[in-house]
Amino acid sequence: MKTRWKVSNLYLIAVFVILYAPILYLAYYSFNSGGSMHEFEGFTLEHYAEVFQDTRLLIIVLNTLVIALLSSALATIIGVAGALFIHRVRRHTTKQTLLTLNNVLIVSPDVVIGASFLILFTIAGIKLGFTSVLLSHIAFSVPIVVLMVLPKLQEMSPTLVDAAEDLGATRWDVLTKVVLPFIRPGIFAGFFMALTYSLDDFAVTFFVTGNGYATLAVEIYSRARQGVSLSINALSTLIFLFTLLLVLGYYAVNRRGAAKAKTLAEGVRP
Amino acid sequence: MKPLFRLFAAVFAAAFALMYLASYLNTSEGYTGENTLTVYNWGDYIDPELLTKFEEETGIKVIYQTFDSNEAMMTKISQGGTTFDVAVPSEYALSKMKDEGLLLPIDPVRLPNLKHINPRFLDLSFDPGNKYSVPYFWGTVGIIFNPDLLEEGKTFTSWNDLWDEKLENQILLVDGAREVMGMGLNSLGYSLNDRDEAHLQEAKAKLDTLTPNVKAIVGDEIKMLLANEEAAVGVVWSGDASEIMDENDKLDYVVPEEGSNLWFDNMVIPKTAHNIEGAHAFINFMLDPEVAAQNAEYVGYSTPNESAMEFLPEEISGDKRFYPDPELTEKLEVYENLGKRMLSHYNELFLEFKMHRK
Repeated sequence: MKTRWKVSNLYLIAVFVILYAPILYLAYYSFNSGGSMHEFEGFTLEHYAEVFQDTRLLIIVLNTLVIALLSSALATIIGVAGALFIHRVRRHTTKQTLLTLNNVLIVSPDVVIGASFLILFTIAGIKLGFTSVLLSHIAFSVPIVVLMVLPKLQEMSPTLVDAAEDLGATRWDVLTKVVLPFIRPGIFAGFFMALTYSLDDFAVTFFVTGNGYATLAVEIYSRARQGVSLSINALSTLIFLFTLLLVLGYYAVNRRGAAKAKTLAEGVRP
Repeated sequence: MKPLFRLFAAVFAAAFALMYLASYLNTSEGYTGENTLTVYNWGDYIDPELLTKFEEETGIKVIYQTFDSNEAMMTKISQGGTTFDVAVPSEYALSKMKDEGLLLPIDPVRLPNLKHINPRFLDLSFDPGNKYSVPYFWGTVGIIFNPDLLEEGKTFTSWNDLWDEKLENQILLVDGAREVMGMGLNSLGYSLNDRDEAHLQEAKAKLDTLTPNVKAIVGDEIKMLLANEEAAVGVVWSGDASEIMDENDKLDYVVPEEGSNLWFDNMVIPKTAHNIEGAHAFINFMLDPEVAAQNAEYVGYSTPNESAMEFLPEEISGDKRFYPDPELTEKLEVYENLGKRMLSHYNELFLEFKMHRK
């Protein structure tokens, strides 16, 4: 019994080491005063200073964050509406078709989506830049939100809605006071997923950027062609810490929500 | 409902605040004004100080964007929707863009600094008369090797040195039909633009005998593999070679005496350009000898700018590996456009070579 516990722990540690070693390696060299990732010569913060002096890079970071926040928020609103709609569809085949169409968008390769957006935007005469990137990020985030929200809706007992209606709630009341609070964890999960998807995305963004507008993924990719400079290491470290904060924040919000729900449930029960 | 509403309000507020900050930075840096110039170049292919210098000299603000492959750049430009004023394609991409009508002609009157370019690098087959392009950097295809992994005193002077039996399973080749077929043709003393079927078959047969020495045929990862000493010898572009040698200074690079390929990256003005005046000013600025020298020192590739040579430190301009003597450069050849049929024949032969069993 005891050995098994140890083996499984070792395995877990090994997995985490493999997952985090590259990031730590990268972060470690961001403090290297030597010019490359070969030998660690001494501690310095100059690469971090470089990041903050490079206005173009800062603008790109800001662009990336604006796109991530706006697209995930808008995608969440659209996605929740979509999930509510799909949930209301009564005919089984129609529902399945809608769900399949939704899933196809998730599994289809980013390159295909990116290329089709590029063609669509140029035909529609939309100039490549902020608008095109925002629209495409919203588009690929919506199916994810739908997928995160639907299970919550299915979990919800239909009697809850019936009861609310019996008690005289209007449709709007049912939506805002019963349904939305119930599916809130799904909405949060969808929002955060969309956020990370948008921060990550390279393939789609690559096609639809232009006119001096770029996001971080695209910029780092084209810079990496001639070897990654250590300021990119520094920047990546900062971004990693930022996402870590986001995840911790999400976790805190969730836990508070769960604790609240628990006290509520305990309060209701006699 | 309330926490949801609050979250979304906070998200939108944060997004707009960041957006304001970005646009403030954009304006303060001058990226949004009328007098801007969009330059589309390879990643890390210019000394950033030069952009600042250009902005100070001309008052034109440069919006600098980067790409990582000729194909990606061409797609962006041919699709429209963007306004790139200057782009930097390699020579084969340049002739394709020219054929597809994606380029604007260059006005030599507006480029007084054009006289500094070595005439040997002008008026070449991919752009006769330099109607559409000005060379930016140039290089060769050659052999990079690691003396530590080879027997004492082993050097390379000829392509035929690769056929040495002692090199079994030691060579990495770039995955390019023109490069590898060219190597086979060059080693036999033929032109790398040869269209003679007998010569091509001969080259292919000769390449087949090289297979025992070939460890792998790889793409861009060849740089990493060689720098990490996974193989002793590689056939690479000189630009890649200089990058590998930056990473690992044990390695050395040689342009074989039979001759080799001469490649170019060129500055062009795409059809989508808005600021044609500024584009010429930029190209002319980059042709300035001191600027070209500073850029060559930063990027590490060979500059075609004759007058820039005197501004370069001796260890760069005197480096025969990257600035070979005239008798060797005479033998360097630019890839000619072979036409679709011949090119696919090259590809076919290369594929057969790849499939050839040891």
